[in-house]
Amino acid sequence: MSGDTLLTVRGLKTHFPTPAGTIKAVDGVDLMLKRGQILGLVGESGSGKSITGFSLLGLVDPPGRIVEGTLDFKGEDLRAASPDRLRALRGDRIAMIFQDPMMTLNPVLRIGTQMVETVLAHRKVSRAEARARSVEVLAKVGIPHPEERIDAYPHEFSGGMRQRVAIAIALLHEPDLIIADEPTTALDVTIQSQILAQVQKLAAEMGMGLIWISHDLGVVAALADEIAVMYAGRIVERGTVDEVLDSPRHPYTQGLIASTPMANDRGRPLRQIPGSAPPPLGRPEGCPFRPRCPRATETCLVDPPETLVAENRGWRCFHPLEGTP
Amino acid sequence: MIEMIRVEGVTKLFRREPDLAERLAIRAGLAKPPATVHALDGVDLTVKRGEVVGLVGESGCGKSTLGRVVAGMLPPTAGRVLNQGRDIATLRGAEARGARLATQIIFQDPMSSLNPRKRVAEIIGEAPRVHGLVPAAEVPARVAGLMARVGLDPSFAGRYPHQFSGGQRQRIGIARALAVNPEFLVCDESIAALDVSIQAQVINLFMELRRELGLTLLFISHDLSVVRHISDRVVIMYLGRVVEEAPADAVFAAPNHPYTQALLEEIPRLDRRRRAFSTVKGEIPSPVNPPPGCHFHPRCPFAMEVCTRVRPALAEIVPAHRSACHLNDPEARMSPRLGSAQQEQLQRQGTP
Repeated sequence: MSGDTLLTVRGLKTHFPTPAGTIKAVDGVDLMLKRGQILGLVGESGSGKSITGFSLLGLVDPPGRIVEGTLDFKGEDLRAASPDRLRALRGDRIAMIFQDPMMTLNPVLRIGTQMVETVLAHRKVSRAEARARSVEVLAKVGIPHPEERIDAYPHEFSGGMRQRVAIAIALLHEPDLIIADEPTTALDVTIQSQILAQVQKLAAEMGMGLIWISHDLGVVAALADEIAVMYAGRIVERGTVDEVLDSPRHPYTQGLIASTPMANDRGRPLRQIPGSAPPPLGRPEGCPFRPRCPRATETCLVDPPETLVAENRGWRCFHPLEGTP
Repeated sequence: MIEMIRVEGVTKLFRREPDLAERLAIRAGLAKPPATVHALDGVDLTVKRGEVVGLVGESGCGKSTLGRVVAGMLPPTAGRVLNQGRDIATLRGAEARGARLATQIIFQDPMSSLNPRKRVAEIIGEAPRVHGLVPAAEVPARVAGLMARVGLDPSFAGRYPHQFSGGQRQRIGIARALAVNPEFLVCDESIAALDVSIQAQVINLFMELRRELGLTLLFISHDLSVVRHISDRVVIMYLGRVVEEAPADAVFAAPNHPYTQALLEEIPRLDRRRRAFSTVKGEIPSPVNPPPGCHFHPRCPFAMEVCTRVRPALAEIVPAHRSACHLNDPEARMSPRLGSAQQEQLQRQGTP
């Protein structure tokens, strides 16, 4: 394993026992992320992409828990880490950005107060130094006049500016890894674009690893280096952006790409994936995509293992597409 | 082609009426009068019979308000809406009811637009029964036919909305709209809440319905790539005004308005990899206090002095292609360009 590997996830399973049965939200996820790299984690609702993010941070709420797998962050086993150790890592070395900044910002505190608090939670510095650091980071994420705006309340910002504040808080300690869960989904196209530009620039400058969770293949194509496609709790395909989008091997990935309007002639029916994703408690045996898959055979009644052709290029399918070289 | 809908100079303001105490406080100078939201500002729009018109814009641009005004759900503050040549505000009785039934609207979130306590059979069958479109005995057959038409299993008619997936729920909403034999459908972000693999299915359903039932569609969306796929003509809105209007191909091949150009530049696309985003500056100003002149001038890379004062008219630049930009007017082009410092100042004023 090369020295700049930041995160290695192997066989991660996060399950939620319920009276009706065990919900296997994450059911076998393998990931690898290097320093300075952006990984796009793509999937539809219920595919387990957010729970994967929460699992990495040790934020899975009981009764849910990680039942299997290894999480290696810079040589440290995160599953074995104590709650104190995890608390020290979170917000310092690993940060998270959520979809709705109103959920992460306290509405009754000025953003400066919240940022200074975050700095002081991890560093022994004076309030003035913490405030100076906060202003510096606000400027970095593109908030105009940060020395005035730091004293504003969250509701005084627009949606896009609020998300910038949330990103600034994540950047306070220059973390090694940021997990961003659909942070631009609720924003308008022109505002989303501004934030993607900023994030792309910051990730390159600061050399941090970034996991960008999204349902939007277009956003990930523009932003990421690598893509992992999730379906029903598993990563069904991963590789570089070009590998996955130009020569998808898993029929689900191929179906997603083929169904985008841009891949179809205007006014013609879109190529569509039939059916819908299985409910978490009613997943079929074997390959979960089997009922919707045009290539499925009886072989698919068994769980397909991951075919790994390179360190970071693989798929879980018995009948992969040929792929274009 | 015959005109289905004509919107003429429609303006819609939203203002909260102050109560007695507030009115007294305002009169005594102790409170400010409530703010007015300028949702629509002099909008013209025509939709021809059998046409699919895509209405595109970002939040606060007034696209949903326009959809509701067109559907007769909201009265315009000024201007009028003609349905097949007749002002819908002047229709009375059976005629008014007929016009309302002929125009149906499909909303974004099927969970909040379907009654959770009613079975699908009642949701779809209620309107045709109440309006006497089919005899009571034939309602179940009608419901079954509609369900099959939108790709739902008719044996699920006894189920409740929560027992369906998001995509199926949207199909229920579509079946309910079709139940009264409408001629014109307003689709307000009808696919925005759906998963990617389900979106394609519902878009295909809309295209099928249009072809088979000869429907006219006003397709409202923030997603330009979807609108391009489904529409014959595209209308782009910004802060309550139409900024550009053209056949779908022309908008994408030769966008004229700087806002349209920026929007096209920003759509996430699979073939744009690792790209450096070149972005429009600034935020969308608040519709409570829209900037004077051209609403886009604080963010426009080509803004001139005239843009800060004069509203550009929506003028034809080539046949069937209209755009509201001073750059198309040789005389206005003589106006001096705005400096970047000046523009930053303007952006600050408009920030909500």
